[in-house]
Amino acid sequence: MAALRLAFTIGLIGLACATAATVAADRTLTFVACPVYRDTNAGRKSGCWLATQESSGLRYDITRGRTKPQLGHEVLVEGRRERVTRPNEPNLQDTPCGGIPLSPLVVSVLDAQCPSFMLPAEGFPGRRFVLDPKVVLAPADVPEALPPPPYRARTWSIEFTFGSDFLQYQYSEIILDEIGRYIRASHPHAVEVTGYAVTEPRIVSERVLAEKRELARSRAEIVAVALRRLGATDAMLRVSFRENPTPLPGPDELAEPSRRRVDIRLSY
Amino acid sequence: MASEARDVTTPVLTPLRCMAFALTVTALALARLAHSADSAGRPAPSWWAADSGRVFPQRVSYPDATGTVTVTHLGGPVDTRGHPFFTVLGRNGRACITCHQPADGMSVSVDTIQARWRATAGKDPLFASVDGSNCPSLPQGAASSHSLLLERGVFRIARPWPPRTPDGGAITPQFTIEVLRDPTGCNLDPIYGLKSARPMVSVFRRPRPVGNLKYVTSYGYLFEPKNGLPLPIDPTTGLRYSGNLLADQRARTLEEQARDALASHLQREGPLSASAMQRLIDFESKIYVAQSADRIGGSLTASGAQGGPDALAAAKPAVLKGPGHLQWAEFDSWMQAPGDAGSTEAERAFRASVARGVKLFRDRTFLISDSAGLNSMNFGNPTRDSCNFCHNMTRTGMDVAPGQVDLGTTNEPFADPAPDLPLFKLTCAPGFPPQPFLGTVVYTHDPGFALTTGKCADIGKITIQDMRGLAARAPYFSNGSARTLRGVIDYYDRRYSIGLSEQDKEDLTNLMSVL
Repeated sequence: MAALRLAFTIGLIGLACATAATVAADRTLTFVACPVYRDTNAGRKSGCWLATQESSGLRYDITRGRTKPQLGHEVLVEGRRERVTRPNEPNLQDTPCGGIPLSPLVVSVLDAQCPSFMLPAEGFPGRRFVLDPKVVLAPADVPEALPPPPYRARTWSIEFTFGSDFLQYQYSEIILDEIGRYIRASHPHAVEVTGYAVTEPRIVSERVLAEKRELARSRAEIVAVALRRLGATDAMLRVSFRENPTPLPGPDELAEPSRRRVDIRLSY
Repeated sequence: MASEARDVTTPVLTPLRCMAFALTVTALALARLAHSADSAGRPAPSWWAADSGRVFPQRVSYPDATGTVTVTHLGGPVDTRGHPFFTVLGRNGRACITCHQPADGMSVSVDTIQARWRATAGKDPLFASVDGSNCPSLPQGAASSHSLLLERGVFRIARPWPPRTPDGGAITPQFTIEVLRDPTGCNLDPIYGLKSARPMVSVFRRPRPVGNLKYVTSYGYLFEPKNGLPLPIDPTTGLRYSGNLLADQRARTLEEQARDALASHLQREGPLSASAMQRLIDFESKIYVAQSADRIGGSLTASGAQGGPDALAAAKPAVLKGPGHLQWAEFDSWMQAPGDAGSTEAERAFRASVARGVKLFRDRTFLISDSAGLNSMNFGNPTRDSCNFCHNMTRTGMDVAPGQVDLGTTNEPFADPAPDLPLFKLTCAPGFPPQPFLGTVVYTHDPGFALTTGKCADIGKITIQDMRGLAARAPYFSNGSARTLRGVIDYYDRRYSIGLSEQDKEDLTNLMSVL
């Protein structure tokens, strides 16, 4: 029994080292924390979300993720420092929220519960909400512009937060809408939908995190439902699901979150 | 209505002003009389009975709690003889018009319900045992058997359990349902209850108005942000479902709504002919209803305002509020100039109050928390926003997306105490996402949208409804829990700890009264 425990511990340490190496390589901070809401009041959607990384004691501003936290639930934070000027002594008083801003940033709401804490503004201004026009669909009554030929095989990816198959608002529908227009314009021979889940465990903030295998399937299926409603026929659709893909390439992408995705490939 | 906030900063009434005010009121009264008079000039009764044979006018106005409600039919006057909206089509003596009265903004108010009880000793088809009583098995002659309709204005809605798809297919629910309290007796009834041969869940809801339906059936965007999916497509029309019909979205189209209502509320056996169905939908689709005058503020089109049903009928539906499309812009002109040379001080003061209400509705932010359908999206919990975050469709205050949201009006711990309503305990099965904020065990007197989908995540969600013509159709919320418009504001203030001042509450109440 003791030998088993030792082997498990060594395994965990190995995993931790591997994870730490990944973090060092791409400067991504990954930690689990209990989020705190700071009620800055600079108009609608202006509140701040903060999370303290236990290992460093640093407080980060995790407001700018696509998905915001839920008070009372732990969050998995994956992000990079917006700018690193004084990494050891960041002047938090100069920040909008009182935390070191992370961007790019992916926040995943975990099932694990934790205390709900709200802070007053305490002099922090927060950020005025500005809607990025790139994440807003045209109203339904705007005539649809279909992409012109030629049509070549093409792949899109839709990312998900950890443990979730929820199609995130002001992100997923932009991609799905574009795919739908391609499908209606080009009538592809095949629409291949491949869902992925990252089931290999990794240790983050002393927790072992791994997605359930079924998530790969449910992610693929929800995207297939969406594509059917956008014009894909059953004859076109090929739905499959796999585990533990490689990250997507690209300097701005966060590697680990990009593995939690669905790929949609149109071929002719 | 005595408790309604109608006091505006009261001006000093000089004899001259008093006389001018009296003349205005008289003129308004005469105008109402003219609108609701028959061809011989006699005032028409406000109650529209089934099979009355009357002509439904192109435009008709009635006094209501705070002024005048006006209903207009874009197709011109309608001969109601044999018309499916006005004709008894089932076996309980009701027609659609029975519960969708023009004087009540095409719904039916609790004041009207009580008046019908008094006038008919409870014999009006309005009180049909199927849903106009607390339970059909109760003695129907006693007022106590109709207490929920008489006191809250709610009708019994019997939903099949387990839920079924609109096509009758089986849905395996993610939760069990247990009756903890059954003051009507209907949920434990051997014939109508949850354990009967045809298991049903009886919930009690206000009737939604038949009017302004282009706003209810249209959609602003192709996607439903609450689940990330494109809106589903109606195979018969190729159009997408708006998802905004009825409190629990159990009908996706006006035809499905009509079939549901005919079978349940009118107790019709067998379908309506295709031509009659089309006639019914055509009529409903051309009805517009809105408040048109206020007792204090005067005409709602005065001084550049665009209240009343005409601007509503002319405008484009499903427009999301935003720059260039501000919510309740109908009353923006009153922000700068609440009156003209002929306006009384009382009119100016009231209109200024409405204008302040518009600004509050748009701009007063507060922390919205623990509301499934809102905070369960990626906005976070809590999120700071204003009333028009959810009431975001211009002209009606509905949601441009399917508007199923849990405000807490039907669920513990947020719902007002309602010992007269049933209380259910819903327990979510393992392996399914729980109600996002209420957990795996939820106590509710109306599971709402979850009775349509069978999903735990949808427990307590109720579709946001049209806010026009409110003053004519008290009480409010799906369960009639707010007796007055002020009661609606008080609920929100309490639920979200908004911290509205007395003046704020009065201004918001006055805004809602002129919609």
